[in-house]
Amino acid sequence: MADVTSSPAISGPGLGEKTLDLLLSGRGIWPAVPSIIVLVVVAVIPFILLLSLGFSDIEVARGEIVSQTFSLNHLTNALSDSLYWTTFKRSLSLALSTTALCLLFGYPVAYLFAVGGRWTRRVILILTIAPLLTSGIVRTYAWLVILGGRGVVNWAFLKLGIVDSPLRIMNTHWAVLIGMVQIHLPVMILPLVAVMSRHDNRLIEASENLGASRLGTLRTIIFPMSAPGIGTGAALVFTLSYTTFVVPQLLGGGNYLNAATMIYEQVVFSLEWSKGSVTSLLLMVTCLAVLVMISLATNYFTGWTKGRDA
Amino acid sequence: MMQNAADNAATLSQAAPVLRIGAVDKYFGATQVLQNCTLDVGDGEIVTLLGPSGCGKTTLLRCIAGFWDADAGRIEIDGQDMTPVPVNRRPVGVVFQSYALFPHLTVARNVGYALRMRGTPASEIEARVTEALRTVSLEGFESRYPAQLSGGQQQRVAIARVLVMQPRVLLLDEPFNALDAKLRSTMQVELRQLIKQLGITSIFVTHDQEEALTMSDRIAVMRGGRIEQAATPDEIFDRPVSSYVADFVGTSNFWDAQAEAGQVTLPDGQSVETGLSGKVRVMSRPHNLRLAPEEQGPWRGVVLFQRHIGPLIEYHVEMPDGATIKVAAIRQDRVRPVRDRAAVSIGIIDSAQVSVFAD
Amino acid sequence: MKALKRSSLTDIIGLGLIFGVAIFSLILLVAPSIIVLIISFDTRAYVSFPPEGFTLRWYGEVFQKSELVESMLNSLQVGLTVTVLCILLGVPTALACVRGRFRGTTALSVFVLVPHMVPGIVLGVAVLFAGALVGVSPSIWLQSVAITVFILAVMVRTVQSRLMRLDPALEEAAANLRATPFQSLRTVTFPLLMPAILAGSVFTFVEGIDNLSVAIFTHGFRDRPLPVELLALVQYTSTPLVAAVSGVQIVLAIVALIAVSLTIGLDNVND
Repeated sequence: MADVTSSPAISGPGLGEKTLDLLLSGRGIWPAVPSIIVLVVVAVIPFILLLSLGFSDIEVARGEIVSQTFSLNHLTNALSDSLYWTTFKRSLSLALSTTALCLLFGYPVAYLFAVGGRWTRRVILILTIAPLLTSGIVRTYAWLVILGGRGVVNWAFLKLGIVDSPLRIMNTHWAVLIGMVQIHLPVMILPLVAVMSRHDNRLIEASENLGASRLGTLRTIIFPMSAPGIGTGAALVFTLSYTTFVVPQLLGGGNYLNAATMIYEQVVFSLEWSKGSVTSLLLMVTCLAVLVMISLATNYFTGWTKGRDA
Repeated sequence: MMQNAADNAATLSQAAPVLRIGAVDKYFGATQVLQNCTLDVGDGEIVTLLGPSGCGKTTLLRCIAGFWDADAGRIEIDGQDMTPVPVNRRPVGVVFQSYALFPHLTVARNVGYALRMRGTPASEIEARVTEALRTVSLEGFESRYPAQLSGGQQQRVAIARVLVMQPRVLLLDEPFNALDAKLRSTMQVELRQLIKQLGITSIFVTHDQEEALTMSDRIAVMRGGRIEQAATPDEIFDRPVSSYVADFVGTSNFWDAQAEAGQVTLPDGQSVETGLSGKVRVMSRPHNLRLAPEEQGPWRGVVLFQRHIGPLIEYHVEMPDGATIKVAAIRQDRVRPVRDRAAVSIGIIDSAQVSVFAD
Repeated sequence: MKALKRSSLTDIIGLGLIFGVAIFSLILLVAPSIIVLIISFDTRAYVSFPPEGFTLRWYGEVFQKSELVESMLNSLQVGLTVTVLCILLGVPTALACVRGRFRGTTALSVFVLVPHMVPGIVLGVAVLFAGALVGVSPSIWLQSVAITVFILAVMVRTVQSRLMRLDPALEEAAANLRATPFQSLRTVTFPLLMPAILAGSVFTFVEGIDNLSVAIFTHGFRDRPLPVELLALVQYTSTPLVAAVSGVQIVLAIVALIAVSLTIGLDNVND
């Protein structure tokens, strides 16, 4: 050791430099510490506080909290309230049908990407990313213009003589569903396209060379290989559409209640924080349950990706 | 192992070794990947670590470079223990398998990188970069980016990049892997000449025995984390210490035999001396065998096919027990053409060149 | 031969159907924006299709309405703050996740994802509630921090996936060439991560400007961000004013797209 430090060529670094190196080298956990602190303070602790609110009875006297005791009252109240059941059922069916329809409309685009040339791919990327750069509210607003009483659809229907008087499309379940699907479509397409662009086109050629038809190749090669992308896309679309609040608010009219709008009303309008807490919990738990199911299904179909490394 | 010790002693007697690897062990979890690796490398010597993938050759190289720490043993350079010295202060230059050229830096900035990190004055950097590029014949490429260079040029930039910091030891991790076969052999010769001319002590890692035979002053054949034999290419080829080494370097024929009273009887009737007794394995290189008409010898078989390798013809002879013996002959020496399926007998040219192993 | 012929007939029908749907979907992605653009130039004071005239009046109103301009500036500030915070927090975190040699690197990468997996509306409510408990009232800063927490995962993931594809030998080469870990980070790792950081920034910036679910609970009462202002505007205005705001956004989006494809490439964004 002594002869090492005495040699100028290979002497040890200064203490300050050493500390900086340790902090910034990325070998230790240090670089992540600021993130961890911020996430704990701004996400983890607030979640715990919010949940604890939903599980306690609070007595307030003269603006001060007098006592706080653990209780399941809010939860049992919510579970025995039929409004909760219908709202969550509506949210769930809306989100699931949105996810399914996004896959139905998005997958062909991804297939076109997979078999398409350089320019096809570029056009698909531009058309998919562009809407994501504009506000969700703006994109929802477009559907007000299209589906409204004096909107594009009614104008076309009247012109074509399909209907005699304007149809009422706005403020219906259908308006919400159409808006949901169109708004979340890019979120489904992007992961699919990402998976497709990682694929080797030679696999498609090999499959066709081995006598598979185009559809056969799609069914036996492209579809199974894009399963991870389907999983990611479905998880993203489901989470977003299950917890969205803009689309139902604007296209469903004031009375269209889903889980997210319910939380908003409880917290902002009726200031029922305990109820809001329980609704939030239910929203998170049900959302997580579906995500786990999606993930299990994806794993089931993508066993081949877990090779020797797993 | 005897061979190994004798060799080390020989190197030591000439001059103090530049690099000493002393009884190095390395574990990955519970798996031992290096086992008692000992090797001395003299000044200006080129030593190759040769072995199949997973034999520990790259691990040993990475321990020398300091990317990984050895779990036991010492690595010394010029008599100084490298254990407490961090990677960026070891007098070692590494040429990576992928070259690891910085894609966002020009050739000049790649080559000058080490000097800039040390805070060398800009004027000196420029002069030394120019010199290093001249050494590898890449003048005029200063402002190119790595992606604009051919594989061979990239390799030369990688070499110039470490030469510029005048390392005491040069480590090369399969540097020819990314090159096509033809370029590979040219670059091998060129690189050996360059290293010899600069007199840098070097360690090469490769799984290609021909590359090892071309490049090295000595070859250390590795197996399962141990150095099985470290010796000159000639010695490795002609006097392998084990059937593993014989099998890995060059083409070889093996057959089982019995050793009795210090003698092994060879299938063609000759006999060879051995210190072993009982069941042994006998090895002969194909060029130490020759074909003869069937009636001339007792070791008989049928020619399966003939493989033409440049000036050589390699006959694959199927023996009655199903084994194949390879016999090599120089094209001009062939007395008369041998037909496939011809019945032949095999003779051993020089019984002293036959190796006898215990396993 | 017969089997082959039949399969190619189903091929033609099937593929025709698939390509048909694909083209329909691609049109569906942009058609609404185009219709909004058309409406934004209408002379009538209510939204109706087809338009009857051409005017730039609504665009003029966008920039005359002070609440709207202020909310745009607020959102711009939030977008920038969120992006800067995400770079400062996210890049080191991605480094720790990928290059870290400590137990729990996987746990760390999962932990960072958690706030993003939680519905934004729940995060917003939680932050508002916790803030109220400790006396932090909603403000543009609370909103920025909350959105940062929500979107941090995207920056970490983008940088992480780029980092995982970097040849680890590059950093080893830097170390071998005498670079200290800090020098290696500054001269090799960071420049090579730049495309990923830029791509991540596009997403965090857009989220900062566009996020409603977190912002609606955490924004300051005087500093209304654009999405909150827009939501009110859509609900309570019937003129094509909102269409003009949309028009502005669409133009900005196109500019952003061109900028992105010219600098970092579209493929880098989609990772």
